[in-house]
Amino acid sequence: MILAIALVFGLFAAAQTSPGHDAYNRADRMFREHRYQDAMDGVDEALRLEPNLVPALTLRAKLAMAANRYDVAKQSLERAIAADPKSWYARFLYGFQFYQQNEMPAAISALEKARELNPRDPQAALYLGLAYEAVGRTDDALGLYRRAIELEDAAGTVHVETLLTAARLYLLLGRIDDAAASAERAAKTDPASRDPHFELARIWLKRATPAKAITEGEAALRLQHGDTPDRQIHFLLVQAYRAAGEDAQAQQHAEALRKLDGLNRPK
Amino acid sequence: MKAILAAALLLGVAQAQIRFEEIARKAGLNFQLHNAAAGEFHQIELMPGGVAALDFDNDGCMDLYFTNGASIPSLRKTGPEFYNRLYRNRCDGTFEDVTEKAGVGGEGYSMAVAAADFDNDGRVDIFVGGVNRNILYRNLGGGRFADVTAKAGLAGIDPQHGKMWSISAGWFDFDNDGWLDLFVSNYVAWDPGAEPRCGNADARFYCHPSAYQGVPNQLFRNNHDGTFTDVSRQSGVAAHIGKGMGVAFADFDGDGFEDVFVANDSVRSFLFRNRGNGTFQEVGVEAGVALREDGKPIAGMGVDFRDFDNDGRPDLVVSGMVNDGFLLFRNLGKRGLFEDFAQRSGLLLPTRPLTGWSLGFFDFDNDGWRDLFCAVSHFPSFETYLGKAAAQPNRIFRNVAGERFEDVSPAAGPGFQLAALHHGAAFADFDNDGRVDVVVTTLDGPVKLFRNVTAAANHWLAVRLHGTRSNRQGLGAVVEVILADGRHLTGHATTSVGYASSSEPLVRFGLGASRAVERIVVHWPGGRSQELTNVQADRVVEIEERT
Repeated sequence: MILAIALVFGLFAAAQTSPGHDAYNRADRMFREHRYQDAMDGVDEALRLEPNLVPALTLRAKLAMAANRYDVAKQSLERAIAADPKSWYARFLYGFQFYQQNEMPAAISALEKARELNPRDPQAALYLGLAYEAVGRTDDALGLYRRAIELEDAAGTVHVETLLTAARLYLLLGRIDDAAASAERAAKTDPASRDPHFELARIWLKRATPAKAITEGEAALRLQHGDTPDRQIHFLLVQAYRAAGEDAQAQQHAEALRKLDGLNRPK
Repeated sequence: MKAILAAALLLGVAQAQIRFEEIARKAGLNFQLHNAAAGEFHQIELMPGGVAALDFDNDGCMDLYFTNGASIPSLRKTGPEFYNRLYRNRCDGTFEDVTEKAGVGGEGYSMAVAAADFDNDGRVDIFVGGVNRNILYRNLGGGRFADVTAKAGLAGIDPQHGKMWSISAGWFDFDNDGWLDLFVSNYVAWDPGAEPRCGNADARFYCHPSAYQGVPNQLFRNNHDGTFTDVSRQSGVAAHIGKGMGVAFADFDGDGFEDVFVANDSVRSFLFRNRGNGTFQEVGVEAGVALREDGKPIAGMGVDFRDFDNDGRPDLVVSGMVNDGFLLFRNLGKRGLFEDFAQRSGLLLPTRPLTGWSLGFFDFDNDGWRDLFCAVSHFPSFETYLGKAAAQPNRIFRNVAGERFEDVSPAAGPGFQLAALHHGAAFADFDNDGRVDVVVTTLDGPVKLFRNVTAAANHWLAVRLHGTRSNRQGLGAVVEVILADGRHLTGHATTSVGYASSSEPLVRFGLGASRAVERIVVHWPGGRSQELTNVQADRVVEIEERT
């Protein structure tokens, strides 16, 4: 989901025209149509014509990341940055690929640079926040999540994942009311997503209100859209039903969880 | 906070800063753990380091046994640098290496150690678990041991899985027949010839556990004649495939039978409820301890199953890898339920940046609340990813009235701040001064002995049990201490604490300002109880089970 956001919302339309740009524009169109092999061929053609064409290099990096070839992505982005050190998007993707590879110091360095070059990009704020959180800088992370939400609000496109990232950190910090506000807003933003309902269920459980946790957890389970796996929802529902004294329902969810958990089945 | 301070003042508890002095070299402990890492990124290299605190010669001073690695890929102890080592405590603050005389150098790539008197002869025996070899050493007395593995049937060869890689092990009497049984926690299927490659040519690293198949744990029932029967399948234990790390025992539901918790690496952990009829039911999900509160597994490592909030019920703490946060589950004492208490106790955030290995709840300042010590280090080769050195200092969290944990590591002494690849840890009062000390192994490095030098303003009591109908060491017995001010403190006898390690069997209590206890009540395995009254503090009380 996050990857998809990063890939979809950072795209540029090249304004200039040249043989290289034309090839890049075709590749970009194919990328948007999910024709990845054709897009890769198009990018290769664009880079043959213009080896330092930055949009083509960033598109190549995104295609490489989608194929789990982070080495190729990194190399492409280094070329892009060398060609245009002021390209915030190349910097952002450079940091993003480090983040995806769990190389947090390098991710932080690149994302800080991307933020310097374009302080109004919500994705750079979000991922810099995530990288900060991963290295234990929770206050800095929370500040950036808030900023990412502000920037998305300003752009009119607030994302569920951004709101829930903030909600999860609030929960970790024990700021339950703030977590609830973010999660409720996420639920309104995308009523079809299970993820906000799952977070709301966690919040209600923390508030020792198992009946509401059950309502939200069951709602999450009914919805298909979102990143939260059934396993996590079942575990939460086991706790909620147990807390409510409804052991039979808890047992059903425990069994469902074990069924999903192939690792623990007898061999 | 004000209420806690007021309570402390009212009870006259001295709030001393917990402090340690690192004295391994001074004490003659020159053990070096060798993992045989040679750039091939074999998974087994990451995991060693079990250590046991045991009194093998019954002189009242806790001795030490260290497990060690072996050559890779032969998995043989090709030289003395790979020997497991036994150090005798001379009771004068120093130790001597008696490995050769005792005949306990071992064979194979060793990991776990579990010390207890399995044959009820009054002498502590040693079980060693490892990658390719398990060993049971019977203590013959006179400082000598015999390898009785084959006769005992504890080589650990499973009919389906063969010899599995054992990480931790522990002794407990699951059927309350007065003889200790053995639980072995097994990790993953591993073959040196088929080690998966992770990372790329420029930056290879150790693979995630998901690259390996999980395996079942094992349970061996003591036949009372020096032999054991593998009851892993009939008990239900083997039906659950995990990636077992630390193991700990406690009677969490108060039914008189000890239960088992196994911390699993990156899959859900197991809580085996002892049904009391020779079988176990895995109830980790139902109890709420199988996963983190958000339903995600952590890289579970060490575990302790002990009462931290003085409500008389054993709680659970589990160490994890960086960004997991440690798990702390409070036993609610009703319907087998636990609550996730890590965030509320303040333990979650400070432990998120840590990778924790062995750990233990012990009252290091004897203020009446069990504190938390954790051996800490990240995985080698991950420095680039974390932006931190793999070598890290350990952590000590002070228990504030059972409500929260406070990281008091920075003031725990200069030796405590030194970073290393800390792994195994065993807890015991090595110098018999009433303060719990800690021995910690370091990966491919020297051992550390943290002598507890906390200002000794508070009083303490330790109980050494001698079972007669129960197992000789009284493992599994629950000890209650009732103080004049009405406080009840509870502990149980176990040597299975932390990760791959084994601690002293004594049940220890910090008493704060109390110079005596009104009553000690021992609940022996099987349900019999006995009491002592008006016991003076600051000593080890020997309690023999009345027949």
